[in-house]
Amino acid sequence: MEQREKLLEIKNLKQYFNVGKPNMVKAVDDVTFDIYKGETLGLVGESGCGKSTTGRTIIRLYNATDGEVIFNGANVHGKKSKKELKDFNRNMQMIFQDPSASLNARMKVSDIIAEGIDIHGLAKTKQERMDMVYDLLETVGLNREHANRYPHEFSGGQRQRIGIARALAVQPQFIIADEPISALDVSIQAQVVNLMKKLQKEKGLTYLFIAHDLSMVKYISDRIGVMYFGKLVELASSDELYENPIHPYTQSLLSAIPLPDPESERTRKRKVYNPNIHDYAEGEDVKMREVTPGHFVYCSEAELKQYQAIHAK
Amino acid sequence: MEKILEVKDLEISFHTFGGEVQAIRGVSFDLIKGETLAIVGESGSGKSVTTKSIMRLLPESNSEIKGGQILFDGKDLAKLKDKQMQGIRGKDISMIFQDPMTSLNPTIKIGKQIMEPIIKHQNVGKATAKERALELLRLVGIPNPEQRFQQYPHQFSGGMRQRVVIAIALACNPKVLIADEPTTALDVTIQAQILELMKDLQKKIDTSIIFITHDLGVVANVADRVAVMYGGKIVEVGTVDEVFYNPKHPYTWGLISSMPSLDAKDEALYAIPGTPPDLLNPPKGDAFAPRNAYAMKIDLEEQPPMFKVSDTHYAATWLLHPDAPKVEPPEAVKRRMKKFLSEQEGK
Repeated sequence: MEQREKLLEIKNLKQYFNVGKPNMVKAVDDVTFDIYKGETLGLVGESGCGKSTTGRTIIRLYNATDGEVIFNGANVHGKKSKKELKDFNRNMQMIFQDPSASLNARMKVSDIIAEGIDIHGLAKTKQERMDMVYDLLETVGLNREHANRYPHEFSGGQRQRIGIARALAVQPQFIIADEPISALDVSIQAQVVNLMKKLQKEKGLTYLFIAHDLSMVKYISDRIGVMYFGKLVELASSDELYENPIHPYTQSLLSAIPLPDPESERTRKRKVYNPNIHDYAEGEDVKMREVTPGHFVYCSEAELKQYQAIHAK
Repeated sequence: MEKILEVKDLEISFHTFGGEVQAIRGVSFDLIKGETLAIVGESGSGKSVTTKSIMRLLPESNSEIKGGQILFDGKDLAKLKDKQMQGIRGKDISMIFQDPMTSLNPTIKIGKQIMEPIIKHQNVGKATAKERALELLRLVGIPNPEQRFQQYPHQFSGGMRQRVVIAIALACNPKVLIADEPTTALDVTIQAQILELMKDLQKKIDTSIIFITHDLGVVANVADRVAVMYGGKIVEVGTVDEVFYNPKHPYTWGLISSMPSLDAKDEALYAIPGTPPDLLNPPKGDAFAPRNAYAMKIDLEEQPPMFKVSDTHYAATWLLHPDAPKVEPPEAVKRRMKKFLSEQEGK
């Protein structure tokens, strides 16, 4: 496990908005984690917890307030030449939540998909460019006839496929998917998730999968991070997180998911998270600590002992 | 088993530039006193149109109730005059909408918004209405009701706003409460609170609920009975246990197996292929046939009637016809059925 290659390292990432004003928001507050090559890291939490901001800061849609994002050994933030930036953009792509808002309504599908190809000069001739577009369309389960249409002619699920094709066009290593299925119907969600899984296998992609639908996240992710108020509070492999949630917030979040099983719903006990139970002293060193191997929890030294006593086998 | 609301063969069309969209194509169901009936289905299946027609909230300019009856309290709501409907809407039947941001008026203090239906329907003075409004705020679990009474919707969080919407809906102790995706816009933890609140209130004021959602987890949590809609029709209806553990319609199979179960990780999710039907030109046969792996020749030619599975369980699929071949439902569904059967034997 330890031998795995790190694709992305996020170190003490901070993203504050309205710095220096009374309404300063610490959207992402000192978050540290790694993403390994070929894995899917899920990021969950309630709205406003900073999960989308984390994704957007990683891909440099925002300039980080503090901290580092190291991608393939190079820092993402900080001064970059145009060429470096272009290179970086090619390797990291994003899929957005709302497929109708993230596709330019006045561009043809072929031009939307080929925009990255044009910018990076990946196609030498017009023919080659169109061949690449057709290829991509077929990869995501659309037809080549779709290339000449406009986004409004497609259903939500198809539009999200176009968004995926666009992200794949520049052959990235890493894709940030920000709630890619939240806007879709249940029966269509499964189609898109299956497609993402298939593409990962074929192309060796690495995903950061941001969502609030916990059952889908568990299905697609290898590891899951839970965020609460700008902090990462727990990080573990997805099975471990579901079977052995340690942080009280994670426990309350998991106990709140309704399962499609009437029998278990009748007996479900919901836990309520009260942030006051931690009772951290002023200046106490609270950080991510490894409770059991590979399972990190945001806690103090005293809590670590307590958690280990309960959860270590 | 007192029926409080009966919908019979309801047909609703919308007139658009493209032609007539047959949004509801013969929907029948009953609502029994004190129960929660969940209506599930994907967008465009007609679940919201059905309930909006019960409230008579469909725009008169382009929609038309082409046939059928909505029987409530001895009256056919489909034929009532607007004036008469105003006496029922918000009093006997009320509604909770999906998005608490848009269903409250941002320029009116919430106290006044809660008092509105009370003054309108109950013939009481302002002072009594205010007292009742404060009581309602307490009932839906809003702390400091006196102070909150004077605040505007933007001063509330999403979950608190939805509580206010529920307070307004319950202001006149309605006999029927229609909740149209009331928790879809909320976070899971808040969703759990709102669902608990609704179940609790249902017991207190003894109301019947029609709950629209596409989240099967929520259905399993709140529903007594479930109706599955597809292409403007109800394709399966039964108690929550029957629909979840012994589903008969291939569309219900698809819905259930497209949700990831917590134990099967490596299998690919079952995805219902294709897209929902175009109701501008509804297909001649079963609307689900083009997406249905189990479709037979007859599915393309004739619409299936409702076949009876048990006294409470019906499904519209030709697979239930005595002459139909035996088919195996998908793995995920079979696992559920097995569980159900072993439990039945245990009893």
